[in-house]
Amino acid sequence: MHMSDALLSPPVAVAAGVAAAALIVAAGRQVKRSPADSRLVPMMGVMGAFVFAAQMINFTIPGTGSSGHIVGGILLAAFLGPWAAFLTLASVIIIQCLIFADGGLMALGCNIINMGAMSCLVGYPLIFKPIVGRKFTNGRIVAASLLACVASLELGAVAVVGETELSGITALPAGPFLAFMTPIHLLIGIGEGLATAAVLCFVKARRPELIEETPGEVLPGKSFRKAVVWFAIAAVVLGCGLAWFASSNPDGLEWSIEKVAGTSELVAEHTTSLTTAASAVQASTAVIPDYSSSLSGIIGSAMVVLLVWVVVSLIRRPAGAIQKVDNENNPS
Amino acid sequence: MRTGVAGTSLRLDSRCLTLVTVVYLVCMLSVPLTALGMLIWFAIYPLVGSAVCRIDFGGVFRKSLYVLPFVLLVGVFNPIFDHAEAFSAWGIVVSRGWVTFASIVLRGLLSVQALLVLIEAVGFTGLCRGLARLGMPSYLTTQLMMVYRYMSVLLREALSMRRAREARGFGRKSFKIRDWGPFIGQLFLRTVDRSDRIHRAMLARGFNGTLRFFNTAESRWTASDTAYLAAWTAILVAMRIFDVSSLFTHIA
Repeated sequence: MHMSDALLSPPVAVAAGVAAAALIVAAGRQVKRSPADSRLVPMMGVMGAFVFAAQMINFTIPGTGSSGHIVGGILLAAFLGPWAAFLTLASVIIIQCLIFADGGLMALGCNIINMGAMSCLVGYPLIFKPIVGRKFTNGRIVAASLLACVASLELGAVAVVGETELSGITALPAGPFLAFMTPIHLLIGIGEGLATAAVLCFVKARRPELIEETPGEVLPGKSFRKAVVWFAIAAVVLGCGLAWFASSNPDGLEWSIEKVAGTSELVAEHTTSLTTAASAVQASTAVIPDYSSSLSGIIGSAMVVLLVWVVVSLIRRPAGAIQKVDNENNPS
Repeated sequence: MRTGVAGTSLRLDSRCLTLVTVVYLVCMLSVPLTALGMLIWFAIYPLVGSAVCRIDFGGVFRKSLYVLPFVLLVGVFNPIFDHAEAFSAWGIVVSRGWVTFASIVLRGLLSVQALLVLIEAVGFTGLCRGLARLGMPSYLTTQLMMVYRYMSVLLREALSMRRAREARGFGRKSFKIRDWGPFIGQLFLRTVDRSDRIHRAMLARGFNGTLRFFNTAESRWTASDTAYLAAWTAILVAMRIFDVSSLFTHIA
């Protein structure tokens, strides 16, 4: 479900980034207020690493021949509480982006909302927690995990479609896109739900206190209400930001240029003079008269980039090893 | 954390490289999909940037190809739905769908390449330090450093558990969810025990709630950082405003 930068326009990416940052700040405040603050620091760190390790081991998806891995939002929330789990999952998504190039840097906000917030701040407090209640029976755990995972993955899928359509990158209309995404994520959600329930039931049998007391939970009622309030604020920020950009300014950067320069005429004027100058010199060198203007622009630009590549590789042979001044921490 | 610049004793601050990457991504991703000629020019940054930071561009390019299947899947609908004519050459009519398809693929590759140049130049720890000094909250930096620190430890543990299972599995490698649950559950319990040990070790060393990762000498923002950032910002914004590819329009 990781969104790539290729899918997003800057206004959508920035609006989602602001909303995700607001949620991270809220989560940080909540975690700091938690009575288990000092225990939570190593716990959240190691749990983030655990998600990576758990994702390495694929399970067979029932009914199909293929295998899949867990996302881990509901699983983390069941052990850490919603805010600490959200912060942990956000850090996992950031590392997946920075180290494994999984999802883009500009798409980080969208990915944190689609995967992190939908599971930890919506699926867990609104679905998992009310169903499980205070009695952690196997039946309740399975039902709660299944419903919470399916709901959060479907919400994430709908959010991906919404963000992509608002960006206007793909020509695929929202209807068919949604019809393509929702059944797939229903299956993924069922797999995720069963896998989450399997781990939770196992841990409940061995160490019940780990599920029954979540260190990151501030106060049951308070945390739930705050989750809803913060999520609503983030949704409003996101919605308003997107609507504002999408309605009046199809191109945010051009709009800002116009604001700064007073007029967008500057751009057109300059381009025209450049073009005229170029045509005066180059008119006689025309090789293929029915060549269209945009194709020649594309070919010419590509040739220049290739030339830069050749020049750059001729000037300097790459040293191979990357020079890092400071030493990285060596894992033990 | 500073990164050496090729052929000089000049060193760049990680904050500078992070800011250049952000400026690049905003300028590059805001190029309209139909302006493929303008977009191609943005391929210059990963090329020159990797040379400046002494990174093998071939490696960066190869790694960026991993994103290709996903980007192809996203872009493939554009030629199907958008049949408007973009241009024709040598009697072949190229639809706007194919132009935007090429743009989507290029955007995907270039954004990953820019990210890889940044990460390979400053390293993960350097990037975290840079982000912390740019105002990222300390709890998030701490969290990122902790996950990064223990990722390889737990990956090794999970892989050795998997190897042990495979050795006793009579050739069966796949996991049913019924087996997967206890397996990952076991890994989870080991993780919790590890976190308790780490917590006790941290308390024994005077941990009071905030980690102090940044005890080594911090690099300072110098004039070369300002120059590097200013130069790239000027180039990238200029490339975004003036369509340089239009210079080639009249070659034909």
